[in-house]
Amino acid sequence: MTGNDRGADRADGAAAPDTAQPGGAALDGAEQGGTEQGGAAPLLRLIGAGKDFGNIRALSGVDLEVHAGRVGCVLGDNGAGKSTLIKILAGLHRPTSGTYLVDGEPVEFSSPREALDRGIATVYQDLALVPLMPVWRNFFLGSEPRAGFWPLTRLRVAEMRATADAELKKMGIDLPDIDAPVADLSGGQKQVVAIARAVYFGARVLILDEPTAALGVKQSGVVLRYVRAARDAGLAVVFITHNPHHAHMVGDHFTVLRLGEVELDAPRSELALDDLVHHMAGGAELDALEHELGR
Amino acid sequence: MGPAPALPAPGASEKELRAGRVPPLRRLAARPELGSLLGAVVLFAVFFAAAEPFRQAGSLATVLYAASTIGIMAVGVALLMIGGEFDLSAGVAVVTASLATGMTAYQFNLNVWAAAGISLALALLIGFLNGLILVRTGLPSFLVTLSVFLMLQGLNIAVTKLVTGSVSSRSIADMDGFDSVRAVFASSVPVLGTEVRITVLWWLLFTALATWVLLRTRAGNWIYAVGGSADGARAVGVPVAKVKIGLFMTVGFFAWFSGMHLIAASGGVQQSGEGVGNELLYIMAAVVGGCLLTGGYGTVVGAAIGAFIYGMTKQGIVYAGWDNNWVMFFVGAMLLLAVVVNSWFRSRAGGRR
Amino acid sequence: MLRRRPAPALAVLAAALVAAAGCSSQGGRQAEEERAADAPALTIAMITHQAPGDTFWDLVRSGAEDAAAKNGATLEYSSDPEAAKQATLIRTAIDKDVDGIAVTFAKPDALQGAVDEAAEAGIPVVGLNSGIEYWQEAGLIEFFGMEERLAGEAFGDRLDEEGAEKALCVIHEQGNVGLEERCEGLEEAFGGDVDRLNVDGASMPDVSSSITSRLQEDDEVDYVATLGAPFAMTAIDAVAATGSEAAVATFDTNEEAIRAIADGDLEWAVDQQPYLQGYMAVEGLWLHVANGNTLGGGTRPVLTGPSFIDAGNVDEVAEHAAGGTR
Repeated sequence: MTGNDRGADRADGAAAPDTAQPGGAALDGAEQGGTEQGGAAPLLRLIGAGKDFGNIRALSGVDLEVHAGRVGCVLGDNGAGKSTLIKILAGLHRPTSGTYLVDGEPVEFSSPREALDRGIATVYQDLALVPLMPVWRNFFLGSEPRAGFWPLTRLRVAEMRATADAELKKMGIDLPDIDAPVADLSGGQKQVVAIARAVYFGARVLILDEPTAALGVKQSGVVLRYVRAARDAGLAVVFITHNPHHAHMVGDHFTVLRLGEVELDAPRSELALDDLVHHMAGGAELDALEHELGR
Repeated sequence: MGPAPALPAPGASEKELRAGRVPPLRRLAARPELGSLLGAVVLFAVFFAAAEPFRQAGSLATVLYAASTIGIMAVGVALLMIGGEFDLSAGVAVVTASLATGMTAYQFNLNVWAAAGISLALALLIGFLNGLILVRTGLPSFLVTLSVFLMLQGLNIAVTKLVTGSVSSRSIADMDGFDSVRAVFASSVPVLGTEVRITVLWWLLFTALATWVLLRTRAGNWIYAVGGSADGARAVGVPVAKVKIGLFMTVGFFAWFSGMHLIAASGGVQQSGEGVGNELLYIMAAVVGGCLLTGGYGTVVGAAIGAFIYGMTKQGIVYAGWDNNWVMFFVGAMLLLAVVVNSWFRSRAGGRR
Repeated sequence: MLRRRPAPALAVLAAALVAAAGCSSQGGRQAEEERAADAPALTIAMITHQAPGDTFWDLVRSGAEDAAAKNGATLEYSSDPEAAKQATLIRTAIDKDVDGIAVTFAKPDALQGAVDEAAEAGIPVVGLNSGIEYWQEAGLIEFFGMEERLAGEAFGDRLDEEGAEKALCVIHEQGNVGLEERCEGLEEAFGGDVDRLNVDGASMPDVSSSITSRLQEDDEVDYVATLGAPFAMTAIDAVAATGSEAAVATFDTNEEAIRAIADGDLEWAVDQQPYLQGYMAVEGLWLHVANGNTLGGGTRPVLTGPSFIDAGNVDEVAEHAAGGTR
């Protein structure tokens, strides 16, 4: 993983060093480059959020802040509660306890659409792309620009193609054929299409669910680059992953979930990659296991 | 492990991000309806060579008519299939609509157009219920519509028997409005000197309209999306349940239209036991035309070609004077061939479709 | 598979030969023979509402084919149980410009348009098998068949003669008017009770289990009336399986039914003589086209039934059944 580490170092160099906020558990507000979001109220905030499914507790007492121009990483093993957390942020679930604040106001989303309307876009692991549909149709799916009066309301096809092409070019994807089905794209390209779509539709907060999980090193690099690009464009990014190396390369703040609770919560400045790897690998439990096996 | 990936400023275009250029011929081969179009051309040539009567314009009109009776329903069924579902009740729903028109007009002494309105409402309701049960229970459409199919089959016969005392509806040929109903649903129009049944024109119109909806409207975009990945579509805010229910109601509309043709063409009398088995012909037309059974892929033009292939095979065998017993064998062989050719083209075209 | 039409060249050649031989070119026995030889090799289309694989229609078709062969005509047989599709097949025959069309007129309203088109095209149409009440009004020139209701009544009378008390009328195709009429006629003429039983004729196991369960449930039934010969065979097995005392009789026949009558398993069959229907329909058309005859004069149907096949005459019938013509 040395290659990736070096990449992470460079990323570090490019970003302003983090400073701890008094909030402690905050994904720190950016102070880099004097952006106006710095120090402002967090875009999203969870206070003591919990979620029960019947008598199963999926999440409890989670505090989380998401700031513009920052990448907050949420790490955790399978079953740690990552996906429940995403679903709460995305508006698919309502927390059974605690509060969810957007721009400082408490909200109760009843559908992902409402979250989307507040600028909270989620890019799921399975991407929410339709494999058999052309790229440009996918790009505008659910928010198609239209012209004409009912019943002759039609899609602005030329505009959709041109815009999709232009937006993807901005992200560095130059497709020879905007009509190609998404299934023909590589894994990394698909992620970038999904991210580009969210950004184009005015996302302020980008929630990325395991975007690098199924990708090789090269394709992961493609995606991580655009995570940084989105951050640099002033978006708040929530990067959910179980890969500490990927997280450390782009993250400004790290939250490690374990069995539905926050195990570790630290800004980049307080956390080395090794610590993160250690925590992800099981932390104290792993130490005990290592001791027991005695090797 | 390879060298570290550089992190250039985003926006720089990269080689690795370029998908390969697609040659135009391969793009053409990837069209869902190409296989069926080739099949139709070959079949046409075969019958043209083998059956002398097939060469007359009047015969083509008959073939097109046979195709249109399947093709009109196939428009709705293809849309539904692209949307990821299919409807086994479509065959008997046509007869239900026809019976509803015949019986309401006769029993309540209604103008046939008024009865047609009631029948339309019923057909849409059947579609709505199909869709509602599907989205509420999450059961596969095969099971839901199979149940509805059997129920309708029973209802058609039982209610007809209850109402009219016999197994067919009473003739409404002498009632008000029947003549204009017949003019709209079952007349003939001269086209280039040949009498062409009006259903052929309706079929072409519906095919064009549905193609426009599918390719140029938001609804069309949603239909493809819902069939291709219902979860994906839901996640970006597509109202999946509404789209599916709407599709079933579209099938209901076409069932009504076909039912109106049936009753108008059969002099205002409808046999209650008919329609069984036709649902598979509609599905066959859509599949031959390149629609994927699993949804998300296909065109209405393809379904029209599929219906044309059916009409051509069915009638062409008679024109050629071949033994009638073989008709269904040939229809089945056509289906198999079309499906194999389609999948071959698709794999050659490279996509993972 | 082109239509076989007499090549005009051949006729010209024949005429030339006759002339060259220096014989009298008119009259005499030769002229009569020529008329037979020159008789137009007609193409006749027969379009029925047959569902696939019913033995009844094999008999109709063999009759039609035999008549066609005897007259040097070509028979083109096609069928579809759905009225609208049957109408389309009639249009196909019109497009082919056949010389005559024989059609089963089971669903008159649906076929009327196509029959009118045939009339416009100058193609004579005869009816057979079904539609005895409608053929004349519809403009068919001849009709060959049996009145279903009459057959039903004959069946009912026979049941009375046999002293039956409760009969089961097994309808193997829901929604078929002809079958309903048979049951209605039976109900009218028969003094005892009649129950109807709908079964799925496309599935023999269903026919069998439906009859079995009905007989188990109701032991008063002493006669099972099936409306088609294949269903009679299944009914015989079903009756035997339940140990019921009920006898089985049927409408229509086939080879197995006749054997069963000879063996005493089947009481009798009301025969509408399907071979005769097919044969006469083609023969009638041929005579009409070739010689201007009209059987029944255009006002009376030619009745092919009902006749009974029972222990009394079964031996004679069996002989022909073995040849596939009864």
